[in-house]
Amino acid sequence: MAEKLSTQIEFLVALQDLDIMQREIEEVKQLGFEVNAEGAATLTRAREELVQKIRQPLLRNYERLRSRYKRAIVPAKEATCLGCFMRVPTSVPTHGRADTEVYTCENCGRILYWLA
Amino acid sequence: MEKIELVSHFDESMFVPALQARTKDGVLEELVNCFASAGIVRNAALVLEMVHRREQLGSTGINHGIAIPHGRTTASAKLKIAFGYSKRGIAWGAMDGKPVHLVFMVLSPPHEQDNRYLPVLGRLVEVLSHPEEREKFSEVMSFAEFTNLLKS
Repeated sequence: MAEKLSTQIEFLVALQDLDIMQREIEEVKQLGFEVNAEGAATLTRAREELVQKIRQPLLRNYERLRSRYKRAIVPAKEATCLGCFMRVPTSVPTHGRADTEVYTCENCGRILYWLA
Repeated sequence: MEKIELVSHFDESMFVPALQARTKDGVLEELVNCFASAGIVRNAALVLEMVHRREQLGSTGINHGIAIPHGRTTASAKLKIAFGYSKRGIAWGAMDGKPVHLVFMVLSPPHEQDNRYLPVLGRLVEVLSHPEEREKFSEVMSFAEFTNLLKS
């Protein structure tokens, strides 16, 4: 697969998406979708490759948050963290972002991802 | 049991009655771009990465010319479904080996408010399991016809 992701937040989002996919394998199988053992192993390898690209402190924070909440990364909408629904400080830019910096919610600590 | 409603998850801007792409990867990209153009996802590359990974897990071609690529992604704002039709057919690596003509791409945030992702996915599989319904989806010309079919 061509590597199109480049920033730490993109790698983190891709990691969370992968973790969610692995968590829901059984439910998806029950709906009648094909899931093969080789494919599951491919996802495990993909995860190993992905974590190599994430800086260690960030990765540790992601894993810590993941064990505490279901989602370590949550969307931020209209300057609100959709994990705990507290407003993010006005000093944090919320529009026209380029995903180059990683921000966390000051209240709950979750990593924020802006959808707009 | 409550019948899961599907129509509200579709949008005319994500209804593609004649897919331009001729390959599976091309169709995935074309439909993800529909989500991006509609403002449902901001970062198409991130979502494309997720749908490609999902295909690695096992083909989303569910036989009879139908594929339902799907997944939850943090980069998606809402649970939405894009529809694409390919008259020519796409090699999808489906379980029955047949080319795919009808593609329903389902994307959802990790936790949407009503947690409807799996029920919606299941309902879609159920609707498309009826041969007469599948046939009708191949013949729709407009979004209005398409939604009428979903309501029937």
